[in-house]
Amino acid sequence: MGMSRIECIFFSEFHPTLGPKITYQVPEEYISRELFDTVQVYIITKPELQNKLITVTAMGKKLIGCPVCIEHKKYSRNALLFNLGLVCDARTKTCALEPIVKKLSGYLTTLELESGFISNEESKQKLLPIMSTLLEELNATGASTLPIDESNTINLKLIEQRRDPLIVQEYDVPVFTHCKDHFIKSQWDLTTQQILAYIDGFRHIQKISAEADVELNLVRIAVQNLLYYGVVTLVSIFQVMKPSDIWNVSATSPNKVTRLFGETVVRSGAGLCLTPHPACVSGQKRACLRDVFQLYCGLTPGTTVRDLCSRYSQQLQRVDERRLIQYGLMKSLIRRLQKYPVKVLRDERSRPPRLYTGCHSYDEICCKTGMSYKELDERLENDPNIIVCWK
Amino acid sequence: LIGTVLLMGKSGSGKTSMRSIIFANYIARDTRRLGATIDVEHSHVRFLGNLVLNLWDCGGQDTFMENYFTSQRDNIFRNVEVLIYVFDVESRELEKDMHYYQSCLEAILQNSPDAKVFCLVHKMDLVQEDQRDLIFKEREEDLRRLSRPLACTCFRTSIWDETLYKAWSSIVYQLIPNVQQLETNLRNFAQIIEADEVLLFERATFLVISHYQCKEQRDAHRFEKISNIIKQFKLSCSKLAASFQSMEVRNSNFAAFIDVFTSNTYVMVIMSDPSIPSAATLINIRNARKHFEKLERVDGPKHSLHMRMR
Repeated sequence: MGMSRIECIFFSEFHPTLGPKITYQVPEEYISRELFDTVQVYIITKPELQNKLITVTAMGKKLIGCPVCIEHKKYSRNALLFNLGLVCDARTKTCALEPIVKKLSGYLTTLELESGFISNEESKQKLLPIMSTLLEELNATGASTLPIDESNTINLKLIEQRRDPLIVQEYDVPVFTHCKDHFIKSQWDLTTQQILAYIDGFRHIQKISAEADVELNLVRIAVQNLLYYGVVTLVSIFQVMKPSDIWNVSATSPNKVTRLFGETVVRSGAGLCLTPHPACVSGQKRACLRDVFQLYCGLTPGTTVRDLCSRYSQQLQRVDERRLIQYGLMKSLIRRLQKYPVKVLRDERSRPPRLYTGCHSYDEICCKTGMSYKELDERLENDPNIIVCWK
Repeated sequence: LIGTVLLMGKSGSGKTSMRSIIFANYIARDTRRLGATIDVEHSHVRFLGNLVLNLWDCGGQDTFMENYFTSQRDNIFRNVEVLIYVFDVESRELEKDMHYYQSCLEAILQNSPDAKVFCLVHKMDLVQEDQRDLIFKEREEDLRRLSRPLACTCFRTSIWDETLYKAWSSIVYQLIPNVQQLETNLRNFAQIIEADEVLLFERATFLVISHYQCKEQRDAHRFEKISNIIKQFKLSCSKLAASFQSMEVRNSNFAAFIDVFTSNTYVMVIMSDPSIPSAATLINIRNARKHFEKLERVDGPKHSLHMRMR
């Protein structure tokens, strides 16, 4: 699952005459004397670093802790200093563990303020079994629920960090990566619930916004959220497939296609597996796989759909080309070449081009201006100052 | 001539309390709320205007001490001008205290053999009054013996009386670069105005940095007592948002004038001749100011002294 593994949990304190020391650690003796001496000044710290999350890396280990200072004249030297921290291998990604450490320091602070949990030698001993359990459970399941006493329970969960999603544009088309029915609609927010029905792999954002009667920006944010959690993925606009469309099999795909078919043999019926392939016209299962494979391979650079249709007319009878393309896009098997108009010659006096810069695709321009492909094509073909690039 | 002043001693012996009183305007009672010093606290203290004392107050817990003698040894003990070692007179672990002290001396011998060593036998207020001299003498003998071949100067101190000021005045006195010249000038001044005694205090700490007396007086400890009293008074004034400027105290036997002197000092003049009016003395003091200011400025930039208290 890619979870960061915790090697050790330690509890360190400032003793009035001995100074900083490790009172408990599980497993025992994990932190060597040498390691502690090296990093102790970041474990039991000066006032400036107290109550802050501090990660220090040394001797191949990463120690994440939050030094706590509770000031009160009842304590020897007027303050209680301690730190409950985690140790990982230095190469581990530890962002997900930081909130855990912070939360634990908060729990212990509360316990101490409420009932002197830590300053009382007897109750402090309960820390050891608590730390033991925490280590086990966090490593096994990424979560832990531990009752401490009658009124306090520790609840912890490791939240995995995901990458930030791409910005969703009006001309992007969201499509579910898993079967739509698997999702319990009521668990999602109201906006998402309202647009769910319109996410079909063919409607682009702007269209969804119009048909679902939800403001464009809200639709974008909702879909971005779904994208973050991997519930949907984005494909490009698929209007009526035109004969002149060029679909390019993406450079990495030959292996993918092979692998894909390999997978099919092993896994069946799960998710978006090829049996039955979504592109298959129902009732014609057996011929399907080979046809689909041939069709994908037929999408060589520069091949237009027209070419494809003429070469593989037989296969296309059994295959829904829309779904074929959609699936290919989702799995990054194929890639659509887009047209980007660039204004190359212009009057010194006229304004710089807004959309014809080579950075905006036909999809985007059509979406923004409301023109259809055909209209845009006609307009651009008649303009000698504009050339169109495919990329 | 850049050295450091190490302030060292077992945990809880009173190092941070002392430096807070002398350099940070704490009164003795305030020191009760101080926390433990974590590792080394560095402070730069301005003294006499252009002197900078690099004070290193070293936490005395075992873990820290071990580190000072091992991984931090060079960093701590090199370039030391003064070592101030504090002993808690009530300590139950005399052997351990001595062991740490000797480790310090060892490191000093290796790294800064010319450093001056001061031993403060502290918290004397906890000892019965009639026992104090005896106990201090014993400790002093032991320490002198243990410190050989290094020489150490011992003081008995407490934050609750003037002995604190005596010790620190003596220590700081060692570090003032032009102190002989200062004393000569002070003597001249005193003799001209026919004063019995003249004291020069550092402005912020009120430590006596120079003095002149024309004859012996009864109370040998009067200097530090004055430091203590005036400092307390000065702090009380500032708590009322007033700043202490000057004072005149008179009785049938003498008149004492305490006033701001140069930008970095206060002066105290004692006159026992009743025929000399206050005004005369005050004018004399005012006229002397310029001369002493000049003295300070001339010597100023050359002498930046860094004291590290470890």
